[in-house]
Amino acid sequence: MLQVTGLRKRFGRTIAVDGIDLAVRKGAIFGFVGPNGAGKTTTLSMITGLLRPDAGSVVVGEADVWRSPGDAKRVLGVLPDRMRLFDRLTGAQMLYYCGVLHGLDRETARSRSEDLSRALALEGSLDRPVADYSIGMIKKVSLAAALIHSPRLLVLDEPFEGVDPVSTAHAIDLLRSYARAGGTVVLSSHNMDLVERVCDSVAVIVGGSILATGTLEEVRAGSSLEERFVDLAGGRSAVEGLEWLTTFSD
Amino acid sequence: MVDDVLRLKLALLGSAFRGARRLARTGLVAVLIAVFTGAVLDAAQSFRPEDDGHRAGLIVITSILALALAICPLTSGLGSALEPRRFAPFPIAPGRLAATLALAGAVGVQGLLTIVLVIALGVAWAGTPFEGAAVGGGLVGGVAIVLTGQFLVAIAAQLAVAPTTARTVALFARGVVGLCLAAAITTALVVERGRDDARVDEVAAFLSSSPLGLPWAVAGSEPPALTARMLGAIALVGVLALGWRLLVGRLLEAPERQRWVPRSRGLGVFDLVPATQGGVIAARSILYWTRDPRYRLAILALPVAPALMMIALAIAGVPGQYLWLIPIPVLALFLGWFSHNDVAYDHTAVWLHVAAHVRGASDRWGRAVPPLLLGVPLVVLLAPLFAVWSGIEGIEPALLGTSLGLLLTGIGVSSVASAAAPYPAPRPGAGPFDQPPLTAATAGWSQGLSLLAIIVLMSPTLHTAWRGATGEPELLPAAAIAGAATGVVMLALGVLIGGRVFRRRAPELLDLVLRS
Repeated sequence: MLQVTGLRKRFGRTIAVDGIDLAVRKGAIFGFVGPNGAGKTTTLSMITGLLRPDAGSVVVGEADVWRSPGDAKRVLGVLPDRMRLFDRLTGAQMLYYCGVLHGLDRETARSRSEDLSRALALEGSLDRPVADYSIGMIKKVSLAAALIHSPRLLVLDEPFEGVDPVSTAHAIDLLRSYARAGGTVVLSSHNMDLVERVCDSVAVIVGGSILATGTLEEVRAGSSLEERFVDLAGGRSAVEGLEWLTTFSD
Repeated sequence: MVDDVLRLKLALLGSAFRGARRLARTGLVAVLIAVFTGAVLDAAQSFRPEDDGHRAGLIVITSILALALAICPLTSGLGSALEPRRFAPFPIAPGRLAATLALAGAVGVQGLLTIVLVIALGVAWAGTPFEGAAVGGGLVGGVAIVLTGQFLVAIAAQLAVAPTTARTVALFARGVVGLCLAAAITTALVVERGRDDARVDEVAAFLSSSPLGLPWAVAGSEPPALTARMLGAIALVGVLALGWRLLVGRLLEAPERQRWVPRSRGLGVFDLVPATQGGVIAARSILYWTRDPRYRLAILALPVAPALMMIALAIAGVPGQYLWLIPIPVLALFLGWFSHNDVAYDHTAVWLHVAAHVRGASDRWGRAVPPLLLGVPLVVLLAPLFAVWSGIEGIEPALLGTSLGLLLTGIGVSSVASAAAPYPAPRPGAGPFDQPPLTAATAGWSQGLSLLAIIVLMSPTLHTAWRGATGEPELLPAAAIAGAATGVVMLALGVLIGGRVFRRRAPELLDLVLRS
């Protein structure tokens, strides 16, 4: 469903993404994990057509995201990290806006907004401006906005950051049934437990390169994902120079 | 309660004498007050009631000084301003609070200087039959100054969300007060020279029938006009007082800096527009133009530029009939030009358009709707009126065509500029005066070039219209047609070109706002 080859991006002197190859099959829930600043968001932005890569290609289904963006973006649902919504609109207006931008008609956009808000427990807040939402609520509205045109591939950057456990559980159920029906999900997260619970395959990115990829079992290689992740990311460095922290002031 | 607020005010004033730096500042203010008082009283004594030029000059100068005084509370910053919302936690009836705050507002530098102005007006007319009328009108005017000052402080306190904004408001107010003082001095010199009395007379006549000059023009009028102006001035104070009472009530009740929340299941403007990309983008744009302080400030400031230009040109001696031709085209020009950085105003929210692969032309059309909705009716309604006031035969279609041309060409140029050369803008949620952390050199280029492009594209029309207005009336119809045609063509071209640029550069635009 998603085929990434040789993706590269540099900002000035720093190489943010250094030749990434990825393949995600249809129906998978694919976890993308890495430490802060590893290039997760940059990679996902290039995959979703928001940030132009220096080299490499991204193919979604049949369509190349950067050569025929129209076809690719029709089947793509996106939740980027740290980007604004039009936050003076109410939640309902926001969802309707996204629906119509993706080509839905009035009735479909409205009814799908209602269905999604029920599924994500947003009903009570739909008439408030998005600017008043908490971070978790914004993530939920963004997830609804990413789903509204029923895409074939969902790319979610940190979808559960700041979302409460109940809503997270709702959202995970929703993603599982979406994947069972043939949808594909790529999500990034810091939360290893969550990735272990939800994803069936993962990729670990460190310093702009993929260090391990495969099914969850392959990458875990016997230990827990968290242990593997810390190993791959350079292991635990001994805490030095902080001795004063263990000599308490009183 | 009144005592408490007054005591608070006095304590605030007293604090100006504590601390070396503040004492120095207070000293400076005291010197300024003394200079102002001396100059105003001196000018009042050299006033000759029998000289028509002097009479007109007095109205102009007092009106300008009244404006400066009304703005003067903003110049000291809003840090310790007694604005109504600060009293919201206390159980005070809005009516009493409104009255108390107005009273407290009169205590202080503004009140002192206002009294000086009223005394000076009395001194000027002393020994003439108008002495009583001068003091009466002056007192009513003084109340109007204090009330207006309260309004401005309350409104500025709502606008100034961040400390930087508050500082900018103070700086801006100081600039305006400085300009007013300069204008007053210029007028005094012009009157003293006595060669342009006719011009001063025209400005005075205009001011006397405007709310700004009404109280100051009471003295010196013939009895029927005198009564009418006095009543008008009193009515003005009544409206201000009522408005102040309502504003205080609203500020006390409305939750802090919360703007309007609909409680309906409908989608507001979105229900009124077609469910297409262009339609919803237009609806979203309209909401932002009406609700976002960054856009609202621009709309509020829009009439100011033409008005200032008119005053400046009037003082410079441009004949009245041409003065009336200026405001509407200038307004149209700035309204069209305003959206030249629209994409940057969306900040990163523009990713929604990128991710949905919005058609470029739809995006451009949608964004063009608010200035069109606002500008076209404004021009169509006002241009004929101003044409009539100018008194130039047959100017009406030309003024209408030129103004529409400027508006539409402006929107067309903005459509291209906002996709091709956006620069960092204040972020959503920031105050309109907050500048982004990074102001690139692009800002100046983009602003200047887009404004220049509009004028260059419209220059054939402007040239024809100018010749038509100054002695070749047979050219006026041509100017009308040229203006309208240029506008329509440039708008269409701008949307098409801007659309292509937007679609091609969309990821780069997003990258640019992400870094700013």
